[in-house]
Amino acid sequence: MANRRVLVKRRKAARNIRKITRTMQLISTARFQAAFSAAVAGRPYTDKLAELVGNLARAAKGLKHPLLQRPPEERRSALVVLTSSRGLCGGYNTNVLRLAVEHCDTKADSGADVELDVVGKKGIAYLKYLRREVAEEITTISDRPRFEEVEPLANTMMQRFVAGELDSVWIVYMKFISAGKQRPVVERLLPLSPEETLGIKGEPRGSQVQYEFSPAPEELLEELLPATVRVRLYQAFMDAAVSEHLARMVAMKAATDAAEEMIRRLTLQYNRARQTQITMELLDIVGGANALT
Amino acid sequence: MTEGKLFTCSVVTPEKIVLDRKVRFVAVPAHDGEIGFLTGRAPLVVKLDVGRLRVESDEGSEELFIDGGFAEMVGDKLTILTEDARRPEELDRDEILTERQTAVAQPSVSDKAFAERQRALKRSRTQLRLLDE
Repeated sequence: MANRRVLVKRRKAARNIRKITRTMQLISTARFQAAFSAAVAGRPYTDKLAELVGNLARAAKGLKHPLLQRPPEERRSALVVLTSSRGLCGGYNTNVLRLAVEHCDTKADSGADVELDVVGKKGIAYLKYLRREVAEEITTISDRPRFEEVEPLANTMMQRFVAGELDSVWIVYMKFISAGKQRPVVERLLPLSPEETLGIKGEPRGSQVQYEFSPAPEELLEELLPATVRVRLYQAFMDAAVSEHLARMVAMKAATDAAEEMIRRLTLQYNRARQTQITMELLDIVGGANALT
Repeated sequence: MTEGKLFTCSVVTPEKIVLDRKVRFVAVPAHDGEIGFLTGRAPLVVKLDVGRLRVESDEGSEELFIDGGFAEMVGDKLTILTEDARRPEELDRDEILTERQTAVAQPSVSDKAFAERQRALKRSRTQLRLLDE
């Protein structure tokens, strides 16, 4: 008797949870789509910027800029870790953080000081738990990053790099490759690598055009390279946001499926318990009737 | 010059494409003064200043606020790359005023800080003027 009521209660709880996880799944689906189209909307800017840098580099005959200058030794390095501020997204944060810690340890082994700048509450909490020193905790950037939110961080990093406070800046985040594939990656933000910025991606038609430049190409580069750094950081944030929503979507789908399976099992158990009870009651009645006659 | 031919003008920010259409004439705030574009202009890459972008097309003219960036003219396509571009109706007066206040309160301890302050002031001034018209 008591068993049956317990089963009913548990089934109800599982149903409630399924309702919640399914809603969360739907919400993350919508957010994922929004984040994805926002990330795609930023592509033309990035592509055009790369093309321009390529054209200018050709016109200026090679690149020379403090942001491209690789220090002889990597003594002080910064690592920007992009994690989420909210949980329930499966292995999303764990994977990023594992890679971040790995990167830190390799750098430390080669004798560099690594400073951690962590974005997102989950990463901050985890690294504190590991008793790693977190130089900067950034929670102002939401899971729908806007350019003006990311810009100050990029500017500070560039400033410190140019001033020689930092010898390199790395960034670790979940790269969005396709809807079925995301991978945590470590990328170097500073110094910029000339091969990447020289714009091999740039369209070849740019090389044939004789541009007029105002001001001189060298001066234009002075402005373009920081813009490149800013937009690269922004793109990383966008990728991280898209991956986060996708990870949450997948996690919530799994949770909903698991809840469904549990409901199915509980229903089975409940029916069996009910059957047993009816059988016992019948036996009681039959036994009682037999005793009377 | 009202009968000029059309060319494409697109305004691109890291977040989205703000504008992309056929236009007749565009005036951009270049670093050393305003530059006007008509179709068939020689290829040009120019650095932009904070200012107003004026676009004239068959549907009438339009003005946008531009936060620096670059303009590139190739063939009959003008691309404007900027980190922030807004139409007057997207501007928020309170936000601009707060920004201006912070800029005014900022001490100019170095050349860099001074330049930043001037830029912020110019930004708010341009935005306000665009709003008031």
